[in-house]
Amino acid sequence: MMAMVGLAVALFLVFISRIPFGFVLKHLARVSIFIFPLCVLILFTYHQGDEIARFYFLTVTSGGIEHACLIAVRALAAVILIFPLIGTMRFDVAIKALGKLKVPNKLVQMLIFTYRYIFVFIEEVQRMFRALTSRGFTGGMNGRTLRATGRLIGMLLVRTLERAERVYNAMVSRGYEGNLGTLVEFKIGGGDILKAAILIAIAIALNVF
Amino acid sequence: MSERAISITNLSHTYPDGTPGLRGISLDIIRGESVGVIGPNGAGKTTLLLHLNGIFMSKNGNVEILGKEIRKENIKGIRRSVGLVFQDPNDQLFMPTVFDDVAFGPLNMGYSEAEVRQCVARALDWVGMTGYEPRSPHHLGVGEKKRIAIATVLAMTPEILVIDEPTANLDPGSKWSLIELLRGLSITKIIATHDLELVRVLCQRTIVLDKGRVITDGTTKHILVDKPLLCAHELAPPNAT
Repeated sequence: MMAMVGLAVALFLVFISRIPFGFVLKHLARVSIFIFPLCVLILFTYHQGDEIARFYFLTVTSGGIEHACLIAVRALAAVILIFPLIGTMRFDVAIKALGKLKVPNKLVQMLIFTYRYIFVFIEEVQRMFRALTSRGFTGGMNGRTLRATGRLIGMLLVRTLERAERVYNAMVSRGYEGNLGTLVEFKIGGGDILKAAILIAIAIALNVF
Repeated sequence: MSERAISITNLSHTYPDGTPGLRGISLDIIRGESVGVIGPNGAGKTTLLLHLNGIFMSKNGNVEILGKEIRKENIKGIRRSVGLVFQDPNDQLFMPTVFDDVAFGPLNMGYSEAEVRQCVARALDWVGMTGYEPRSPHHLGVGEKKRIAIATVLAMTPEILVIDEPTANLDPGSKWSLIELLRGLSITKIIATHDLELVRVLCQRTIVLDKGRVITDGTTKHILVDKPLLCAHELAPPNAT
């Protein structure tokens, strides 16, 4: 019951954040690929309560259904909660906020570089695939295709390593000594404190009851 | 104060796989000079530039910047004095916004917040990119990225600007606009490039490097008309205009 309340709160936050539900659903569909198999596994392996159905050697119990639903709802609520966080501010601001919240600097650096270089990485992959396609490469599961794909992944790793080295050199050349400093201006007002207090109170209430 | 901005004596470098990068380089660069370093691919141009900022520390030979030998103890000062702009701006621009990228060097140098903001504003103004602060470097054009990359080192007010292939991958319009920008910077410049038009316009002195050795070092005017020399080192003479 409380998990459903949590899900409702998450959906309400998405609603007041004015994030299109279509956008959220599209991304939830991708996340569901990971959640759904987990729930199926729990459904057949968690044995507690009355037996509801039996398929050969697999048994579904009321406890199993309850547990699978609980995990699914909790996971969906957690994922949905991310949307108001990253959907209402620029990603670089979110990362800097994490830094201000004393998230370890190494983790913040990893997020910054992931965000900055994910596009470069995708472009690199696309360029390499285009080069392969221009020389007659087609997808498939035969040995030749798999070998070509394996080599492409290998080359991608080599290029990634080389770029990492060049980026590191560029950082060191401008005085980098391990910590990434950024200047950020965050202002907190009475309204922000009130909103944060309400959300924290809801989170505590969900946990307690 | 030393008149020599850079003094290199008998510098050699060998890569971990045994490939020689530089072989016994010796040269002096005077303050305020604009020097072009030209040569074919693999000549050692980038390797030489990486020694000027202490990315590669000389094990064989000696590199002095503004009269000071590069050592671990003074590396921070050296890196503030020598601004190094890499060939691929995607390597140079690693932060999520232009502001963060330009502020990166001054922050590492320990400047105060007000000084950092001042340095960023001034550097972006120098390269004509004021107003780009909140933009993501990924979404900029190559010419814009190159300008921002230069701003990232100008923000540290270096006395020596070292640039690797500044006009690589630029269309002619962006290239000439960048050349004009570099011409307006009155600091010591060392430019490694294949672009001899750029060398002709920007550099009074040219060093030809090949296979890690200095082949010749002289005035740009004389070197760029020496077709046999240029052709022998896989360089194309610039079109006369």
